Amino acid sequence: MSGILRNIADLDRAAAAGLRTLYPPQLKILVGSASCGVAMGAPDVEAAARRAVEELHLDAVVCRTGCIGFCAKEPLLDLVLPDGPRVSYPHMTPGKTRGLLEAYSRGNLEPEKALGRFTSEEIVSTGEVHSYPPCPEPLRRIPEWSNLDFYRRQKKVILRNCGSIDPRALDETIARGAYRGALRAMTDMTPEAVIDEVVKSGLRGRGGAAFPTGQKWRMAREASADVKYVVCNADEGEPGAYMDRTVLEGDPHAVLEGMLIGAFAIGAGEGFIYVRSEYPLAIEMLEHAIDQAGKRGLLGEDILGTGRSFHVTVRRGAGAYICGEETALIESLEGHSGEPRTRPPYPATNGLWGKPTVVNNVKTWASVAPIVTRGAAWYAGMGTRRTPGTTIFSLEGAVRNAGLVEVPYGISVRDLVYGIGGGLTGDRPLKGFQAGGASRGCLPPSVLDLAIDTEDRDNATILMGTGGVIVLDDGACMVDMARFLVGFFLEESCGKCVPCREGTRQMFRILSRTCEGHGTMADLALLERLARSVKSASVCGMGAMAPGAVMTTLSHFRGEFETHIREKQCPAGVCRGLAAPGSSIGSSAAVRQ
Amino acid sequence: MTLPEMESPTTPTNGDGNGGALCGAVLVCGGGVAGIQASLDLSAAGFRVFLVEESPTIGGGMARLDKTFPTGDCATCTLSPKLVECMRDYNVDILTMSDVTSLSGEAGRFVAEVRTRPRGVIPSKCTGCGDCWTICPVRNTAEAPPPFQPYKPLAEADAAKLGGILARYEGHPGSILPVLQEIDRSYGYLPRLLLEHMACRLGLRPAELLRVASFYDRFHFEPTGRHLVEICAGTSCHARSRGTLREKLEKEIGAGVGETDKSGRFTLRTVRCLGLCALSPAMKIDGQPFGKVDADRVPEILGRFA
Repeated sequence: MSGILRNIADLDRAAAAGLRTLYPPQLKILVGSASCGVAMGAPDVEAAARRAVEELHLDAVVCRTGCIGFCAKEPLLDLVLPDGPRVSYPHMTPGKTRGLLEAYSRGNLEPEKALGRFTSEEIVSTGEVHSYPPCPEPLRRIPEWSNLDFYRRQKKVILRNCGSIDPRALDETIARGAYRGALRAMTDMTPEAVIDEVVKSGLRGRGGAAFPTGQKWRMAREASADVKYVVCNADEGEPGAYMDRTVLEGDPHAVLEGMLIGAFAIGAGEGFIYVRSEYPLAIEMLEHAIDQAGKRGLLGEDILGTGRSFHVTVRRGAGAYICGEETALIESLEGHSGEPRTRPPYPATNGLWGKPTVVNNVKTWASVAPIVTRGAAWYAGMGTRRTPGTTIFSLEGAVRNAGLVEVPYGISVRDLVYGIGGGLTGDRPLKGFQAGGASRGCLPPSVLDLAIDTEDRDNATILMGTGGVIVLDDGACMVDMARFLVGFFLEESCGKCVPCREGTRQMFRILSRTCEGHGTMADLALLERLARSVKSASVCGMGAMAPGAVMTTLSHFRGEFETHIREKQCPAGVCRGLAAPGSSIGSSAAVRQ
Repeated sequence: MTLPEMESPTTPTNGDGNGGALCGAVLVCGGGVAGIQASLDLSAAGFRVFLVEESPTIGGGMARLDKTFPTGDCATCTLSPKLVECMRDYNVDILTMSDVTSLSGEAGRFVAEVRTRPRGVIPSKCTGCGDCWTICPVRNTAEAPPPFQPYKPLAEADAAKLGGILARYEGHPGSILPVLQEIDRSYGYLPRLLLEHMACRLGLRPAELLRVASFYDRFHFEPTGRHLVEICAGTSCHARSRGTLREKLEKEIGAGVGETDKSGRFTLRTVRCLGLCALSPAMKIDGQPFGKVDADRVPEILGRFA
């Protein structure tokens, strides 16, 4: 289906065309082909599926989709049965795919090999529910997807279409409710009303800093200027976080629609998406989506027949972590080195080329459209009072159900790790976890029951920042982790100010000494003093946050640091040159010292 | 002006056996930071110093800098105390706007002729108020450096390629990064000559362009191998692999991180998170991702790339 979209009737027609490909009358074979699927061999699985369809003369279509979030089970292959549910199969290989489709051709769906089945899917943007036909008897043994540990507590808003639609098919996205929010905003609402709606929803930035989104938009709206910009910060440099990539690869129109609404609200005519160059598939999907949206009248000139224009340009990052900081990102967009600017003035009033600019994260932009379509009250009903709505965590490390998890704010870490994550692999004991970005350091199991929120309140909440949760079992060495995290900041420091540039280097040296068995107790005091100095004297947020990696880890795992220094032993057996307690290598290091 | 012959306070004797006393004065040419330091050291050693500088002030190139490489130290903070010390030193005579016109004599007893140009004020009466500047008819003569010229012309094909890339981004402000990315993709690195020509066409100095390019990790300044191997150095990959994948890759490829192997097949680099954290340890070759990479799988994966 093609043609310019101008009104609700056009959207309905496109949605009808999308529904025909989303739920076709014949068998549909869906292969999860986001980067995580591809990394585990999805292209081979897809090729095997296509060969099998041809050779077995199956009446079937083979499609690619984004990541459904359960990365630990990749590559995933789903069968959308013509007269039944959608069934997911994990850990597929070309051989298994052939076997499964052969069995299907004989009327056997191999339920024992399936991971889960969908009986219905919520179309989040509109609130409607698509129900699959009733499940035939042999498939009832397959657990329902919504009953899986991994999925039970999840509430998908940002990832609403990932893993369900073909990200290249605009009609499928429209069938899932896309661009209805944009149409409503641009035809039924004033920019102020849109901003009010976003303010009422309580949406806060999902990039980690959690600034109220509506308030930022209002500042940009009220700033007088001839030109204004909206920017999507997709420079996801934080190690351990990959949700932005998943959204862009699985549902790029969610971001574009959010930006379109934001541009209308603040009065911007141009937008930029700054994506990491490490995400080539995300860039490809975005460029395809922008081209497609332009051809259908959703971007460019005379959008949705309203006479308004909005142009979006994709810019690739060039490998600098600091460009995730909004003022550094703006510098980079202007063609300079990505060194952060001093604030104020804030980008909302003096941003790109000195013009009012709203910079929001991928997850924030992707959250906007359902708020406008379904109303602020619906969104504010999820999450906590201070931070309504949902956010995505990437759960990884020594956890069984590794993957992307979208849950309302307020969930406890225990629910995240043991409930959704299914506990640790090999039933190893939990030693700690690294959460909320490298600057947060490693946290102990004692904080498991704290609720996750955007505001850090002692003994009540835990701050998750960018949302990467790396579960560490007893095989992890905390001194080594602290060294690794500081090493990250050492490499990524832009070098503009001495405290950050030299301070991180000295912290890294001290931690390296400790890992090599040459640390002294005086080093620990020096480390603490150094961390305080770097925190207070650095120019930008990155330098101020860098010592957090050391301070948190040191305060929670001090005993392990002392064991390294006093006994010349690494309890986890990670540090080379030192060894686990009882080993002769450790004692020889002590003698050497 | 001809410098007066000075008696050395220490009157050392000439070691060449001819009995002539050495002159205890030293002429230092150039009032940059090196000249200043040399003058101070010589003065401290007991010599009378004549510091000759062609420009109106001492301080030289360092006085124009904000910071110094590689430590980023404040240039003014380093230089200012030396300027003051040099000016106050009774053993140092500073001759600004002066040129050495001739030098004669022999080691230990040189005679230098120094010509001092007029400066339009009487130095002993000058208070540095700057009032003369406001009425000076020649104050606005500025020295413009000659326009930069690349060291050689571009080959025809390269010139066409560069022209094509630049034309695509014409009218797009701030597009230095995309242009550099296209050049890097096209050549596998950023050739120096191409950067110089690009700078000329954009009206920039090559240093400005290099400053931007060298800020970012993704640009290469040396030719790379046919395939780019990226090892994930994210937190999850570190916790799960602890460097074993990197060691295996270095061994198999025969090159360290940041290096290209001898046959020019692979260039190895690390990336702080490839975004495949749930599938750690992970790597990419030419953008193609590989997850849960056991070190034993490495030879098979590398074998796919000729």
